[in-house]
Amino acid sequence: MLEIKDLVTEFASVRALSGVSFTAATGKITTVIGANGAGKSTLLRTISGLERCTQGAIIWEGLDVTKLSVEGIVRTGIAQVPEGHAVISQLSVEENIELGALFRKRKASADVAKSVKEVYELFPILRERNSQMAGALSGGERQMLAISRALVSRPKLLLLDEPSLGLAPLIAEQIINAINELCRSTGLTVLLVEQNANTALSVADHGVLLALGKVVAQMPASEMIADDSLRAAYLGY
Amino acid sequence: MTQFITAFFSGSAHGAIYALVSMGLVLVWRGAGVVNFAQMGQAMFTTYIASQLIMHKYSYWIAFVIALLAGAILGAIVDFGLMRPLSARKNSALLNSESMRTTIPVIASLGVLGILKALAGIIWAGEERGFPSPVSTNGIKIGTTTLAFTAFDLFVIGIVFITLLLTTAFFTRTGMGLAMRASALNPEVTRLSGIRINSVRTLSWAISGVASSLAGLLITPSTNLSPNTLDLLLIVGFTAAVIGGLTSLVGAVVGGFAIGYVISFVNVYSSPENVFLAILIFLMFMLFLRPQGIFGTKEVRRV
Amino acid sequence: MFSARRIWLKSSLIAGLYFLGLFILGKTLGAYNQTQLASVATLFIGVLSVTLLTGASGQISLGQGAIMAVGGYAAALLVLNLGVSIWLAFILAIVVAAIAGLFLGLAAARLTGPYLAGTTLVIALAIPTLANRFESTLGGDVGLSIDVGNPPMWLTKFLGDIGIEQWQLFVAIPFSALTLFGVLNLSRSRSGRVWRAIRDNEVAASLHGLNVQRNKVIAFVCASGLAGLAGALYGFRGIVGPSVYPIDLSLALLTGAVIGGLRSIFGALIGTIFIVFLPDLIGKVTSTFKVSEQVSNYLPALVSGVLLLLTIVINPAGLAAASTHLLKGRHRTK
Repeated sequence: MLEIKDLVTEFASVRALSGVSFTAATGKITTVIGANGAGKSTLLRTISGLERCTQGAIIWEGLDVTKLSVEGIVRTGIAQVPEGHAVISQLSVEENIELGALFRKRKASADVAKSVKEVYELFPILRERNSQMAGALSGGERQMLAISRALVSRPKLLLLDEPSLGLAPLIAEQIINAINELCRSTGLTVLLVEQNANTALSVADHGVLLALGKVVAQMPASEMIADDSLRAAYLGY
Repeated sequence: MTQFITAFFSGSAHGAIYALVSMGLVLVWRGAGVVNFAQMGQAMFTTYIASQLIMHKYSYWIAFVIALLAGAILGAIVDFGLMRPLSARKNSALLNSESMRTTIPVIASLGVLGILKALAGIIWAGEERGFPSPVSTNGIKIGTTTLAFTAFDLFVIGIVFITLLLTTAFFTRTGMGLAMRASALNPEVTRLSGIRINSVRTLSWAISGVASSLAGLLITPSTNLSPNTLDLLLIVGFTAAVIGGLTSLVGAVVGGFAIGYVISFVNVYSSPENVFLAILIFLMFMLFLRPQGIFGTKEVRRV
Repeated sequence: MFSARRIWLKSSLIAGLYFLGLFILGKTLGAYNQTQLASVATLFIGVLSVTLLTGASGQISLGQGAIMAVGGYAAALLVLNLGVSIWLAFILAIVVAAIAGLFLGLAAARLTGPYLAGTTLVIALAIPTLANRFESTLGGDVGLSIDVGNPPMWLTKFLGDIGIEQWQLFVAIPFSALTLFGVLNLSRSRSGRVWRAIRDNEVAASLHGLNVQRNKVIAFVCASGLAGLAGALYGFRGIVGPSVYPIDLSLALLTGAVIGGLRSIFGALIGTIFIVFLPDLIGKVTSTFKVSEQVSNYLPALVSGVLLLLTIVINPAGLAAASTHLLKGRHRTK
């Protein structure tokens, strides 16, 4: 279980997060939605360690991870797929996936091979494009690759930063559904940041609405998707 | 004709050493984003260590290995002690300036160079001393003719190609090599993959240190050893790296031989005084026509 | 916003104080110290050229020493071969160095960081070899000697007997003060602001309509003019040759500029004092501790290097910034 307590993250003198608190239940999909600039990406980057919070706590499975390094946080079982389908374009598909499992290769080489096989089964197109440079892939394929890289680290918490960004709606839906499937079948905890509130709320269990660095609402996703006033006020439609 | 052959052999022999220097620069550039102007200072320092060992009657090969180890350690120290604290400093206005971010590491490495030269002078005095070669430095005899090419030259070229093979295999076939390539290309994604890029970077510096040591050991038989002898080697190595492409190891070797031939042909067909001008012209030519070098990849500028 | 007149007044005041200060010191100190003071006055111009180039416009050059050589040789050749008066020769040396700076700047405008450093290093090493290539005109390794000449009548009438070292000092001081005046004006002018904008973010600067290339070249030309003047004054001590302008000179200028404070004119002065007086200071320390000659020869270099690294890591803005912090940050560094 992931507990966020009064998280504050600042850049220069701007408070991107002003005391964010919520809980992401184990094995469930929690989605964080909100308009541009609400602080959603900053939230994920603070959890994964790319940004440092100035106040507050991030309790993951009973451990406060706020002081750990990025690499250390990965080893606690948290994997982030950053915004913009972050893959390394000059490496091949195979190398990108291998990279994600490198840190645990020595201790669990058999399981590494297994996890690699699993992501190829989840996204078969990657096996086809195995030896191609990641830069040659389409947007959707690159997103699949980025997710695969995160998955081969055998995370217990997956942080997804706007996976549908820049993708055609059909592909985006495919990917979100794949994540949903994965979560239900393996018990993976997922924290999903999305601009596309509808898609996100339709697969999520729990919704957290962020505005200007603060949590303005959190409730079961089914309730949030039905709440018209919230939608109008914070999402603009 | 003999002039051509002399120039060719000389160019090949020296080109191999420039290739080593160039490879060391490429390794640090790719692994840490810094051009290490102190590289030849490190080489000079470790060669002095080897020289001391030899003077105390240790075998050449033991001194050789220890010099390489010292090179690795020295490289790691420079990264750990200097470059890491430098990049960790975020709250200075000076460092926030874009041009300063590329300039400060250059100045830092120049500082290291100065310190290493001064230390070598203090510890071992500044007089020139000779340095032995493990293989014969007499011209190879084929029948009755003696070539302007020695067994040592062959040895050097052999070492360079072995180094190239080993490093390429390392980068393309090992996990650590992949980690190094990845952290140079995209540090953020690499960190998110759980890889300690600081340790990886220190390893780059260490490996580069070994390459520098190697270059120092191989050139000092012909130049003799003193705190200043290897300075020129740096700019030739730099030019070689620029020609080949700062991002490519193969390019480093090609560039090394290319500049080696340019220098030797200018030496033989023109005059030694024109060598620097020739290097300069070649360098400017490359920088204007193809700044990323023959084998380099164009850097994408992020706005 | 400062009006142009106020800038001029303030710069004149500072430069005037500097002039007076050096003049008075020059009158009261002995011959050896006068030479050192002359070095300070001369090398101050050289360090300012680095401050201007690297601190203000963000371009690193390891070849300022070589530009000094260009100025020095130009002045020497003019005096020796064309019989030009020394004062005119200095002015022309600035022009010649500025032209060299133009070529260098055009080449450098497209380069950054390590590429720029490496290229200027190659140039710095290539220029001295010209002395050997054109040995007949440039005197090869030995160089050319200049006759320093005697102080003019009116000066000796006014000040009494002037020794050679004092004369050299009195020649250096007005040029040094004028340079200070010029650089102070420049840094507070529009050009100064433009260069700083380019230094901090080239892309943003060009999006604001600034011609990045042209301004970088202009900065190079100005800095080279300064270096040329310093080189001519340096040669005025009697000899112009490759050993007068070694590569270590370029590095010393850079070290001094960084330790003193890369972005501060006052820092350039501190850095110059550091470069000039460090060897003697260390000499005094080593003689009291009876250190071997081997060590004492290399100790100044070691200390410089260590201080350079400490400056960069601990306080990148140099001693000048540290001292203004002590003064409660009243005066902001650039």
